[in-house]
Formats: sequence, C-alpha cells, structure tokens
Amino acid sequence: MLVAGPLKRMLSPLVNPQVFDFWASHLSPTLSWERPLAKVLARRVEARDTVTLVLRPNRHVGGFAPGQHVSVTVSVNGVRLTRSYSPSWLGRRRMAITVKKMPGGKVSEWLTECCDEGDVLEIGPAFGDMTQPSLERPWLLVAAGSGITPMMSLLRAAATLERPLPPIALLYWARTRADLCFGRELDQLAARLPSLTVQRLLTRESVLLPEEHSGRPDETLLRALVPDLAAQQAYVCGPAGFVATVRTLLEGAVATCQAEAFSLPDVSVVEGQPVQVTLARSGRVLSVPAGAPLLAALEARGERPAHGCRMGICNTCVCGKLAGTTGDLLGGGLSQEPMGAMKLCVSTARTDITLDL
Amino acid sequence: MTTAVSRRPLSADEVTRFGAEIDALRERTLADIGDADARYIRRIHAAVRYTEILGRGLLFFGLFPPAWLLGTLLLGVSKILENMELGHNVMHGQYDWMNDPRFDGKTYEWDIVGTSDNWRKTHNFKHHTYTNIKGMDDDVGYGLLRLFPEQRWRPFFLGQPLYAVIFALLFQWGVAIQDLRLGAYFAGRMSAAELRAQFRPVGRKMRRQLLKDYVFFPLIAGPFFLPVLLGNLVANGLRNLWTFMIIFCGHFTANAEVFPKSVLENETRGQWYLRQLRGSSNLRGGRLFHILSGNLSHQIEHHLFPDIPARRYAAMSQEVRAICERYGIYYNTGSLWSQFGQVVWRILRYALPSKPVSMEGRRLVVNE
Ligand code: FES
Repeated sequence: MLVAGPLKRMLSPLVNPQVFDFWASHLSPTLSWERPLAKVLARRVEARDTVTLVLRPNRHVGGFAPGQHVSVTVSVNGVRLTRSYSPSWLGRRRMAITVKKMPGGKVSEWLTECCDEGDVLEIGPAFGDMTQPSLERPWLLVAAGSGITPMMSLLRAAATLERPLPPIALLYWARTRADLCFGRELDQLAARLPSLTVQRLLTRESVLLPEEHSGRPDETLLRALVPDLAAQQAYVCGPAGFVATVRTLLEGAVATCQAEAFSLPDVSVVEGQPVQVTLARSGRVLSVPAGAPLLAALEARGERPAHGCRMGICNTCVCGKLAGTTGDLLGGGLSQEPMGAMKLCVSTARTDITLDL
Repeated sequence: MTTAVSRRPLSADEVTRFGAEIDALRERTLADIGDADARYIRRIHAAVRYTEILGRGLLFFGLFPPAWLLGTLLLGVSKILENMELGHNVMHGQYDWMNDPRFDGKTYEWDIVGTSDNWRKTHNFKHHTYTNIKGMDDDVGYGLLRLFPEQRWRPFFLGQPLYAVIFALLFQWGVAIQDLRLGAYFAGRMSAAELRAQFRPVGRKMRRQLLKDYVFFPLIAGPFFLPVLLGNLVANGLRNLWTFMIIFCGHFTANAEVFPKSVLENETRGQWYLRQLRGSSNLRGGRLFHILSGNLSHQIEHHLFPDIPARRYAAMSQEVRAICERYGIYYNTGSLWSQFGQVVWRILRYALPSKPVSMEGRRLVVNE
C-alpha cells in the first residue's frame, strides 16, 4: 500500500479520506485510506443458483475465524445493500464467499448473476460465535442450504490442523442433488480426513443414490445418523425454521449446541398493533403502534428527535435504520433494508425496528 | 410575445386535485430512480475533483496569463459545481437512498465558508418549509434587502443597491452568518456569550477555508504565491456572483409572491405545493446551464420536490407545467437575463417606499 503505519498516522490530520480514495482508486480499485475492500478475482458456479467468489481483500479487511460471518456491501441499481456471508481463507490474502441466489434477494441475485471479475465489494468486520469447536469432543455439524458455508470454512480450517481430529459428522440438507454445494471438495475432504463422515439429505429428490438420505430432521433420523448423540458438540446453521426445529431436537440431547439462522425479512405487522422500537444509542426500547408516523410516536414516548418541517421535506429528522421493516407515508412503499437515512416524520414501523438514535 | 395570465383563485377541491397530481408525479419519478442517478452524481463528484486539480495545477503557472485565466475559470467552475449540483443537492438528501457515506445529506460538508449544519437549518428547514413567508423565511431579503412591498420600509433600505452589490460579491460570507442572528444580538435580544458559542463552529470553518485558499495553496506554489492567491480569490468571487444570481432569480422575480404568516393556518399539502409554485421562478437554458446552476434553474420543481435528484427536474418540469396549465396556475419562467433584470428592478424599486398590492385575481403581463 502507498502509506502505512507511522507515516499514515502523521498524515491523517491532513488527509480527507474521501479525496484520497477518489484519486487512489484510479491506481487500484481496492486502494483506500480506510475502507475495507476486496476485489473479485474469480467466480465459479458451485451448484444450481450458487456461485463461489474468490476475493483479494485490501489491508483494511479484518481477520475472521472460520465459521464467522462478515457483512458484504455491494451497489445494486445505485443502492448500497449489505448482507452477511461466511467467508473462508484460501491461503494468504485470498478469501472466498459462496452465495446462493435467494428468491427476491437483491444482493444474492446481484452476486450470483451480475458480479464479475474485477468488481469491488466492501467487507465489514467479522461476527459470530460458531468458531472452531473443541478438539476434545466429537463435532456434529448440521447445515441446510447456505448454512453449509460456515461449516465448509470450519472443515477447510480443520483440514490444515496438525493435530488429530475428533470424529466429525456433517449432516447436510438440501432440496435436490443439484442444490448441493461443494460436492467434489467434500468428497476430497472426507478422503483426507478419516474422522469425517458426510451425510447428504435431500428433501425433494425422487431417486436417491446409495449414500444419500431423505427426510426432514426428526429424532429417529438424527439418532440413526449419529449414534453417540449425547457426546456431540453440535453446530447448526440454516434458514430460521430449520434451525428452530433442529435446535429443539438437539437441546438436551447433545453436550453443547450452537445455532445460527439466516432469515428472510419479517412479515409486516397489522396497522395499529404495538411494535418495538429499539434506540441503539440510548439503549431505550419503546412500544409504538405499527403504521403511526415515527416522529410523533417517539415524541409521545418522551423522546426528542431532531426535526423541522414534519412533512418530509427538510431532511432534519433523518436517522439511520439498523434493522426491521419500515413504511413510507408519502410513497406507501415498504423498506426492509438496513439504511443510513430515513425520515422519521414520514416513516412508520411495520415490524420491530432498531434506529440509530 | 406578451401574454396575459390571470391569477385565478382555486377552489378547495381544485387545490386537492392539483396536490394529488403533483404527488402522483413525485411517486412516478421516485419509482424510476436508480443506477442512472447514482452514476450521474458520481460523475459530478468526479468532475468537481478533475476541474479542481486542473484549475489549481494551471494556477501554478499563473505568471503566464492564459494559464492564470484558464486555471481561475476551472477552479471557479469546480467550486460552482461543488456548491450547487453536488453540495446543495446532496444536503437536501436527494441521494440518501444510495446509502453511500460520500453522498449522505446529513454529514456532507461543502467547500464554502458557511457550515453545512447552519445551511441545513436555514435552507433545508426554514426556507423550504416557510418559502417566501415574510418573517419566517430568512431568505426573503436575507435581513438586509427589501424585495417586496410587503416588507416595511425604513430609510436604511435607501442604500440597498449598494448593499446588494457587496452582498453578491461576498455571498458565501452572507450565507455563513445567516444563522447567527446578528440582528437579535444588536437589538439586545441575544447575549454576547450566546453569540460567541454560535460563532465557534462557523469561525472554525471560516478559518479552514481561508487557510486553504489563501495560505496553503499559495504557499505550496512558492514563488507564484501571488497569482495563486489572486486566482483563488477570483474563483471564489465568481462562485459568489453566480450563486447570488441563480438564487435571487429563484424567488425575487417580478411575479414571485411573498406571503403572510397566516397562510400556514391549516395549510394542506395542495396549498403548500401551490405556495411553493407561487413563490418560485425558473430559468430557461441549456443542459450545461442547468447543471452549473445545480438545476436550481428549475427552482419550481426543486421547491415542489426538494429531495428528488435534481437531474430529474428538467423532465418533471414538462409535467408540472402541463398540470399548471390545466388548473390555470401561473408558471413563472424566463431567461436568465429577463429574470435577473426583474430582480435588479426589485432591488432598485423597493429601496424606495411603496404600498403592497394584492396578487389575488391580478392580471399579469408576461414576456414569453
Ligand atoms: S422533519 Fe423535516 S423531513 Fe422530517
């Protein structure tokens, strides 16, 4: 990079990061004063509707442990949108994310269909607790759909460990064979790691191959696939419904259980019903009626957000929405994205929301 | 061509329908906003950077007159673009939907001596909510000029042709102190301590801007200190004159109206739209002219839709005009010179005492 360490600290009062980035991006698209960016080096189709993107991060992209997630920000039709994906290291200064196209998912659709070599993504800091389980107990990894990606990251990392591994069972659910990701890589891993067994479970495939199973998760199936259930450290990742089911089945039956769900946006609540507004900065949680103008509703609860015109023109009441679905009183549209700017005076909460206030 | 337009009062029902049509236009436009608008503002941002570096670069060869002239002009253009099409529009939140910190209306800081925070208050809130309401919109004469017969005459205004020229030359400084309420301080309604506290961020910004244009860049030019300093001074002056002209033409032409505070009582959305229309005036011109004016040449559309990307105003103006025609609402537009002539006339005329006349039902003579 151009400037690093002490030199950078000395220069920083003089540098406007945005101006620096503007000129630096002419030299290299991921050269930046402080933004964590990664360039797409390659893309390959992993399974139906699923691609793996190989990325070269710049030095501002932080580290992550296998099994964690990072937020990935892209610009779709001019709007910057963020989703989280579970990355893997592919050696030094190379990482990969695998993305499955979700129905109606703007980011996954862009990443799987439009994103190409040379594009630049912004990579946020890592989060999540599903990092490497202890080597003292057997691992039970339960994944459905894209839930396979953190498991893959854990397995890839485990394969590089120079210590004996405990028994590892991966139960991987998908709808059909064509939806299974990492087919060959999983076989190779299983060949290299004698302690690893991979079980593929298909819910919508008519004819099964000998090593495949069918059926949704239930107790009999789990006990049949994992003989010593009680000894396991279980990790579960998949869509919210799947994770909830597996979690109820496993809790109490296994030694430890960690679960992470990726969920689709919540369904909007009926007008007038109470929803919770969490104010991230002050930590307050207030209950307001769904569909009511937020500025007025917050004021009725004793908050004093900055405001001016109260009719959506002056931009004074703008604040960031961190989570939840909001409605727009002027246009009538719904917004499910976390966003940096929303006018409180002409917006409503349609689900529980979190505001940057 | 000279035509007569009558200012017919609209029935309550007509005002509602008119408002609904404007709302519908807003919705249609919003639904179409996307990549093209994002690309546009990024290009404007790039144009500001390129013209600035070119202009400043040329000024380093400022002993050679053509280089000085071109450098000064480019720097002036850069400052105008940054001020109008980039800063002003971004600060209205026109590009907030992009979720890009570079174009975030709440945090953008522009390249003039006034702070963005003050501007967001005096302009985005006061001026855009209370457009042309006497006593509420500080932009009506900026506390310095009498532009409407409805403003009470005082002998002080006899000197306003002179103040107006000084104000135009120093426009960014006028904007910088607009929110300090110096009037209240001189009238004894504000303490010195309060004024000092208000001045602190403004003073910081002023110092930064002065250091940048009149110390830092001239100094790094070494022996060419003076041409660089002069070039920067002239570029800032050009920008001041240009913004003054565009902004005054937006609200103080002959047929622009001023309103009493009473219009706010139970003002409906339709009535609010109507007031924006009657208080604003457009300028005709080519594409480049519109860009350099930050599309404030479409002042009417800007006032109806302050948070819609300004590059949309040109297309929207066709429809707004057609809607106005259907309701017999006067749509104030003209060339820069004719509109500016009317502004100058207002400045001269209302330096002298005069009585207000009602606009309602009045027949206007319009030069098309
Ligand atoms: S208070 Fe003016 S936009 Fe909300």
